[in-house]
Amino acid sequence: MSRTPINPGRVDWSGENPGIYLKTDPAGDYTALALFFRVVLSPHGRGHAGLVLGAPDEARGWPDVPNLILTDNMAMMRWIVDGWVTKMPTFRGKAGLSAMSWLDCESVEKRPGDLKFRYSETLRGSDVVMELAWHDMGPPLPVEVTVENSATKAHEMYSVFLEAASAGIRLNGTALPGAVGRRQFFGRDMSTAFLAFSETWVTPEDGDAA
Amino acid sequence: MPLETPITPGTVDWTGENPGILLKGPDGAFTAMALFFRIAWSPVGQGHVLALFGTPDAAEGTEAAPNVLLSDNPPLGDFIRDNFIARLGGFASRPAFGGMRHEAATVARATGDPMGRRYTETMARPGLAVELVWEELERPLALELPPELTGTGAHTMFTLLVPAQRASILVNGQPLPGEVGEREQAGMKTTTAFLYFSETWVIPPEGG
Repeated sequence: MSRTPINPGRVDWSGENPGIYLKTDPAGDYTALALFFRVVLSPHGRGHAGLVLGAPDEARGWPDVPNLILTDNMAMMRWIVDGWVTKMPTFRGKAGLSAMSWLDCESVEKRPGDLKFRYSETLRGSDVVMELAWHDMGPPLPVEVTVENSATKAHEMYSVFLEAASAGIRLNGTALPGAVGRRQFFGRDMSTAFLAFSETWVTPEDGDAA
Repeated sequence: MPLETPITPGTVDWTGENPGILLKGPDGAFTAMALFFRIAWSPVGQGHVLALFGTPDAAEGTEAAPNVLLSDNPPLGDFIRDNFIARLGGFASRPAFGGMRHEAATVARATGDPMGRRYTETMARPGLAVELVWEELERPLALELPPELTGTGAHTMFTLLVPAQRASILVNGQPLPGEVGEREQAGMKTTTAFLYFSETWVIPPEGG
């Protein structure tokens, strides 16, 4: 199959979207999920968000349980959570996703280091400090994903992924329990912690509106 | 549209943002040229780079129209100049390419909304501020270009193009002369003022 240089689809949003999925039991379900968003282009403007489900199966929010999203653009993130996150297999049907608390974010700080040994994103706001840190990254992998292969099954996606051998999620200085696992992704065995740069989501020409 | 194989064969050279403005005079010659880079991954780390040819057809620019490379990561500035801009014929062939000085930037800042009316990038050091302004922005397009359609002729490239109908390059608040013109990319007519987000340059495998 040859390339179509100009994708006829509608660009939905673009930016960075790294994640960390942790398990306390390697054979069990995920016990903590985190996604970070640095959105540079969307119909709802630009912005950042850190989404953490420390109790993915509990229909409660912060501060009862660590289910929360910190964002500086609520409208954009409600659109992305509804149109993308709820469709991702790891998040689909999770009670914590619909019950998580929506909190204002006042600042975002990244510490890129050398992009090999440590990378972190720290969000502050609403009396919460959320720190997501990735360690021991692999080489960058360019990915291009068809609707059939995409996490949402509704979009095409381009990105650059870097696997992280380990990662951590901290809320107000307390680490959520669990360790990075392995999963089948993009047709290969990959870590459940990853950086994702230059990520663009496209609704195909004949696709449903998000 | 994406290929069926999710992982693109090859090696990532760099990824990030790469907007630019090329201004032309009434005779069609370029009067000022600028490329901005916000790099998310490269072999020499993250950072920002701005290449300004304020006086494209002279090695030495002027104080009002300098030929300068500003960066907040000197190895990254060198990498982008030597590994990328040097392979873009439209830039590398200009006398300004050999004459531009590499200087340390203290400010790199974006404002505006690429799906709104206006977007800007500013890089500065003490005594010099360069502001790039894009206006009358068109809808974004996702591009995936084989090597024969890219500026270097050697990479597979993915990007998100937002063309602009109007643009300006300001040096210490003063606009450089020239207007946005037309160009062609992948068989599509577009303009010489462009935002490029989520851009990835991939070196294809040998024989691939």
